[in-house]
Amino acid sequence: MNNLLSTAAQRFYFRHPWQLILAIMGIALGVAVYVGVSLANDSARRAFEWSSQLVLGRTTHQLVNAGGMLPESIYYDLLTRGVIPNAAPIIDEELRLASQPGRRFTLLGVDPLKETLFRSTIRPIPGESASPTALMLKPASVIVPESLANELKLENGSALNVIVKGRTARVRVVGTLKDIGLDPNGSSGLILADISTSQELLNLEGFISRIDLVLTPTEVENLQLLKPAGTTLLTATSGNAAFNELSRAFRINLTALSLLALMVGVFLIYATMSFSIVQRRPTIGVLRALGVQRHELLLNVLREAAVLGLIATLAGLALGHQLGQGLVELVLRTLGDLYFGSYVTAISPAISIYWKGALLGLGATLLAALAPAMTAANTIPAVAMSRAALERSAKEKSFFAALLALPTITIASMILLLGPENLIIAFVGLFFVLVTGALLTPLATVGLMKFAEPFVEKLFGISGSLAVRGVTSSLSRTGVAMAALTVAIATVIGVGIMIASFRVSLVNWLDDTLIADLYLQSDVQVEERGPFTEARLLAIQDLPSVEGLSLSRLRRLQTPDGELNLRAISPGPNGWGLSFVTGNAEEAISMLESQQGVLVSEPFAFRRAVTKGDLLNLPTPNGIQAFSILGVIRDYYTDGGSVTISLDAYRHYWEDNGLTGVGIYFATPAPNRSIQPAVQSIMGSGTRFRLLSNGTIKTRSLIIFDRTFQITEVLRILASLVAFLGILNALTSLQLERAREIATLRALGASPRQVSALGFVQTGLLGLAAGLIAIPLGIALAALLVFVINERSFGWSMDFVIQAKPILLGVALAVTAALLAGLYPAARAGRLNIIAHLREE
Amino acid sequence: MDIDTPPIRLLQVCKAYGKTPVIEEANFHAKRGEFVVIVGRSGSGKSTLLNLIGGLDQPDSGEVLVSGHSLATLDERNLSQLRRVHLGFVFQFFNLIPTLTVAENIRLPLALNGLSKKDSILRTKALLEELFLTDFGKRFPEELSGGEQQRVAIARALVHEPAIVLADEPTGNLDLETATNVLGLLNDACRQRGATLVMATHSHEMVGHADRVLTIRNGCLKEIEI
Repeated sequence: MNNLLSTAAQRFYFRHPWQLILAIMGIALGVAVYVGVSLANDSARRAFEWSSQLVLGRTTHQLVNAGGMLPESIYYDLLTRGVIPNAAPIIDEELRLASQPGRRFTLLGVDPLKETLFRSTIRPIPGESASPTALMLKPASVIVPESLANELKLENGSALNVIVKGRTARVRVVGTLKDIGLDPNGSSGLILADISTSQELLNLEGFISRIDLVLTPTEVENLQLLKPAGTTLLTATSGNAAFNELSRAFRINLTALSLLALMVGVFLIYATMSFSIVQRRPTIGVLRALGVQRHELLLNVLREAAVLGLIATLAGLALGHQLGQGLVELVLRTLGDLYFGSYVTAISPAISIYWKGALLGLGATLLAALAPAMTAANTIPAVAMSRAALERSAKEKSFFAALLALPTITIASMILLLGPENLIIAFVGLFFVLVTGALLTPLATVGLMKFAEPFVEKLFGISGSLAVRGVTSSLSRTGVAMAALTVAIATVIGVGIMIASFRVSLVNWLDDTLIADLYLQSDVQVEERGPFTEARLLAIQDLPSVEGLSLSRLRRLQTPDGELNLRAISPGPNGWGLSFVTGNAEEAISMLESQQGVLVSEPFAFRRAVTKGDLLNLPTPNGIQAFSILGVIRDYYTDGGSVTISLDAYRHYWEDNGLTGVGIYFATPAPNRSIQPAVQSIMGSGTRFRLLSNGTIKTRSLIIFDRTFQITEVLRILASLVAFLGILNALTSLQLERAREIATLRALGASPRQVSALGFVQTGLLGLAAGLIAIPLGIALAALLVFVINERSFGWSMDFVIQAKPILLGVALAVTAALLAGLYPAARAGRLNIIAHLREE
Repeated sequence: MDIDTPPIRLLQVCKAYGKTPVIEEANFHAKRGEFVVIVGRSGSGKSTLLNLIGGLDQPDSGEVLVSGHSLATLDERNLSQLRRVHLGFVFQFFNLIPTLTVAENIRLPLALNGLSKKDSILRTKALLEELFLTDFGKRFPEELSGGEQQRVAIARALVHEPAIVLADEPTGNLDLETATNVLGLLNDACRQRGATLVMATHSHEMVGHADRVLTIRNGCLKEIEI
């Protein structure tokens, strides 16, 4: 008996090959998106962990100088006094290749004799001149990653031009660093040099970045007492805290998007399986009438689903593997752009992800098949054989689903309004909102069709009515697919609105903050004026059409709670250029000018849980200093948040007269072309600086912004693709199923073109309905992303801007998907065997 | 169409499915307003003959002329046009569109012929009355009995005043009493309109109502004396 049932099921798919292909593709794509994103995420996480591990090694603590670089004498002093028995001096700076300035490496200046204690993971390839001690023997020598040596065909003794602190220098390769870690093909992104070579490259003899320490708790207590004023003792992992939190938020966002794709995929699997079973309800009814037991039917359906799920899941895993390879580069690049100053390459992800993907694919397929199979098996045979009974039940179910939407939206509201302010909780709330939308879709479709019928009839006559009613009379076939399409389109609209809102907010913020006409920037972060000498600034100030200058000093400050960006500003003639979120702008700026406190950026306030009126402890060369927080300002710089202080206060507390940026303000609107050469001539050719116009910075910022959201776009497209397959599957099957109706129409004299048009009107209406229902759901989703998810992820607030473009794009996508789904049935309608289909009962 | 032109003419028509001949060298013509019954066993080729007349199938050889048009010369568009104007179909399983009401199902051929909604509603109303369906206009097919559904199908086949009505086992799915009733209605309605009715059936009960009776046996179409 079972064999016969299986044969019947097999033949069903052989007779409907398109349905089989679409079902496999749908399940496979759902699995692939989840697996692909998880692989990319995991690979990125492990790459960063490994990279961090590589740099830190066994280091437990780090001693840094609040004023910037640490005098090397402190290291020797503490060492000789026996305060830090296990210590290594370190220089940690960014290095770029002169031939490829876009690629960033970490220049790690080390004492080769100390390294075995700290970073045993750094193991240069044994062989000629490859020991770290080689770094001590040859001046200006470096050890480069093996993969880089292979790429650039570097051999021992090869010269390599590098850029450090804006200066170009030539170094010699004396060995290669074995690419070790989790992936034998990965690169460490580290370029190793002796401490003195590093000091020469940086032009900072006598200074180091920090002292790496391996300390016992007693030694920690001892060092806290004996460390010189101005130095800060940090735990080794504190510097990574902010990054970890940010990258975690980024990864949660990506995982959520992939889960959304999976959710749409599960909808699709459900739609596919339920469709194939719904189509065989009459057969199931006959089988039940012939005496086949319920459990036999159920087992048979589950076996069928398992085979289908297995084939599709295997395909999905292979596809997901490929997708992961593509996505990992995007994820790493985005993370690298946003949070990490180094070049990091992919690492093989955990094998468990494939198992999870397989489990999800198979589990979802079985679960999706179970519900419709149970319904069919539990129905009285006579009812199972009746299509009308099925559609009546589908309509009743649509009402029931709409009723179910009430508790789900209540749960969503409670989670979002009353639940803890946690990112994962927020995503759970968002999931319930989407489920509510999905539950309301079938009933909303019925309502929309009722509303549309008179208009469609006016346009297309009775054929129009036929098309409209075909939609509502096939809810058993279309309901789930419509819900899947609506959720996917809502995601497209929601994420689109969120990105547009963010972009508008960014543009507004750039307009508010970039108030100078030209900007001079320097990478040099040392306690000196760098290229911005007094004489040069005076000369620029004296240029005709220059009204004034603003000065800024940007530096990274290591604190026990993690690294922060300290931004010291002396405003120009157009004011401070700050966009306040909390606090009275006038009052706060007046206090800032009188050196009575600092302003913190939104992400900083969010992560450190501080607000206006709180005190912020910052390490200065003279010890910890408490600053009053005067207000919270908007800041879309993403590297961990910033603290703004007046330049005078900064100079007072940090005893640093260095400048990293100068804003040039024009008295009258003057073309950049005439001023730029004059500024360049004053700065001279020997100095490293960038001269950028206000417009260029804005353009570059927006390019980075768009690049950042590329991954989101990719996932958005994938979610749409899954939904597209869903609607294609449902509509194609639906149209094919209407063969008898089409045959009757053809016998009555309808031309092939007319019946094709009828199909297109129907599929177009379905797409339009999904698109229209997705609009409010998409807007709700966007509001959640803007007001809840982004705030809880990154601490950014933004304006909520509902633009027409993402909405129109979403609706167009839905209609296009639906119309495309009508293509094959339309082509088939022309070649329909009228006689055969007229005879079907 | 010329008044003297026979609505249906079959000249040396042959049709085979694979190597099995179904109709061999069939010659036949039907006059205007005539009621022709084709009898034969199941699978004898009755439906095939109707399909050939209706332009739903093509002969392997020979010629089928409907209202003076040789079907072999017509392309798909013109065949559809011919069916739309000159032919009406009644099927064994009614083939009503489940999503259209009774009135809309009847109105469908008029809509396909481009008649205005107002006029088509008027004509539909008249037919609903004629076929005792006035109370069913707003109902959907699934709410009707088999006999009622077939009456709707007859109304749909006649509403656009076709020259020919092709009925393939129209009573095959009905009990005898209902079948007789439906057949009477179909016959009367066709006669009133001067439409030629060609009906395929395996039942000999209907023979008494026909003007001519044809039979198909082993592919040969022969007229039987009544």
